[in-house]
Amino acid sequence: MEKLNMDRKSGWEKRDGDFVEVWEDVVSIKDLLFSLAVTSVVTLGAYFIAPDEPPKPLFFGLGGAITGFTISSVFIKPKRKLHD
Amino acid sequence: MDISLFIQMMIAALAATVAYTILGVVPGTDETAVIAPVTLALILAGIQPVVVLTFYMAAIIAHKLTDSVPVAVAGIPGGVMATPMVEHAVVLKKHGQSETSIKKMISGSVIGTLVSLPVSLLLAGALIPFAGFIDDYANEVLFAGTVVLALLSANRWLSFLVIVPFALLIQGLRFLYWELGIVPEGKNVFISFFLGITIGPVIVTFIDLLNKEKRKQLVRNGPAEITIKKLKKEKGFPNPFVILSKRELGMSSIASLIGTVTFMLSAVGVTTLVGELFSKREKDPVKRSSLAISCMEALANATYIAGTLVPLIALGYPLSSVALGPANPLFHAPPVLTLENNLHHILSFSDFIWAVCIGVFISLAITYFLTVKYANEICRFVFKRIPHEAILGLFSGLVLLLAYMDAGWLNIAGVFLISLVSGTLSRSGVNFGVQFMILYSAPWLVSILAGM
Repeated sequence: MEKLNMDRKSGWEKRDGDFVEVWEDVVSIKDLLFSLAVTSVVTLGAYFIAPDEPPKPLFFGLGGAITGFTISSVFIKPKRKLHD
Repeated sequence: MDISLFIQMMIAALAATVAYTILGVVPGTDETAVIAPVTLALILAGIQPVVVLTFYMAAIIAHKLTDSVPVAVAGIPGGVMATPMVEHAVVLKKHGQSETSIKKMISGSVIGTLVSLPVSLLLAGALIPFAGFIDDYANEVLFAGTVVLALLSANRWLSFLVIVPFALLIQGLRFLYWELGIVPEGKNVFISFFLGITIGPVIVTFIDLLNKEKRKQLVRNGPAEITIKKLKKEKGFPNPFVILSKRELGMSSIASLIGTVTFMLSAVGVTTLVGELFSKREKDPVKRSSLAISCMEALANATYIAGTLVPLIALGYPLSSVALGPANPLFHAPPVLTLENNLHHILSFSDFIWAVCIGVFISLAITYFLTVKYANEICRFVFKRIPHEAILGLFSGLVLLLAYMDAGWLNIAGVFLISLVSGTLSRSGVNFGVQFMILYSAPWLVSILAGM
């Protein structure tokens, strides 16, 4: 987490070689692993703590996926440089 | 139609519009991969079918429209469907006409929607007599569809060759799960295999990252460079019938008609073919590009609407490339919806009309307003605030969840295996449509071959 925040301040330049193209956009492997890990854990975690009455587990799981998405969006800086 | 249902439908349409206006702008998002899992989840969560249909219609319209927005603003496609337009948007941009691109696009989608809605309903009515025949020979029809789609595929011989092996992989896993007792015998695992196929190309790219040699080819030296063109602010509301020239209006209406009638074919294929064909004869580059853009957008919208509605209303079987892609969960989302009991059987004709009208018109009105007024701001927000990693994480998380729900931990490996095979095949030119068709035909096909 500290690493990610540090990079957020220092910008992209120091992280060359970590950038790859996946699904037609540029991502950093480290950030991608972070996002995959966080979203998976939160999604399945929410599913398992849900009360065992369908469809609640599914709803919790979906909520977890969206939470994971939000956490990732807050901590990861998009690898896109905008010019006017 | 009672009030609470009506309110739910409005909320569903609004939610879908907002979510897919953002997702549509994100580069690379394929409509099957981003719309199908969410629609599926809503159905499984027990949301009323008519509400889910409203959600789906709003989602597909918003996604389609906004995936062309970055084409006009930054010259990069927001999704697969927008790719054929890039070339023409670049021509307009070169002539300082980016505003024109956006206006022509949205006007085109309004035309596409207005033409294709009534025509799809008529066409569906005309096809209803054939529904009985398809009911009697569903397996044979699905298999024939698989073969036809395979032969229309980019790599037709490979597509044809993999029909039986891919069916074996699917049935192999199903029988194994029955044998191990993790899935009750006779219950076909479907949803997670379907999602495994949609996420296949991404999984194969992840695998490439683990390979030193392949990773080298994917490494980029820095962030994606995106040049945003400042668009002039539009005052008041532009009327699509004024924005389009008479010729563009006529041609895009005809294009929409063609897109509706050819509802079975791939949306991207028809869009490219007809768009290019229609604009070829125009000599002036600016006029040609704006004609091509309005026709393509009209046609894309028409193909989506017809490709969903015609098979859904008339047949109840996913016999179109859109129905096999993003609309698939509306046909088959076991245990809630099956080929014997899906929206075709559950909803009345007036339900269809309500759901489609609410979904389409709310979505069109909002995205029309937003893209005309705030195209720049939306692109800027998405490019700066929504990291691609988070999108990849979100969809991987959804697949993981549904894989586990379908058949436990082992199925996560099973879905991974399907993704690997499917992604490799996609890369070699076997399109999603063929693979989904094989997924449908597998039980019948394998039992027939085993009996021979």
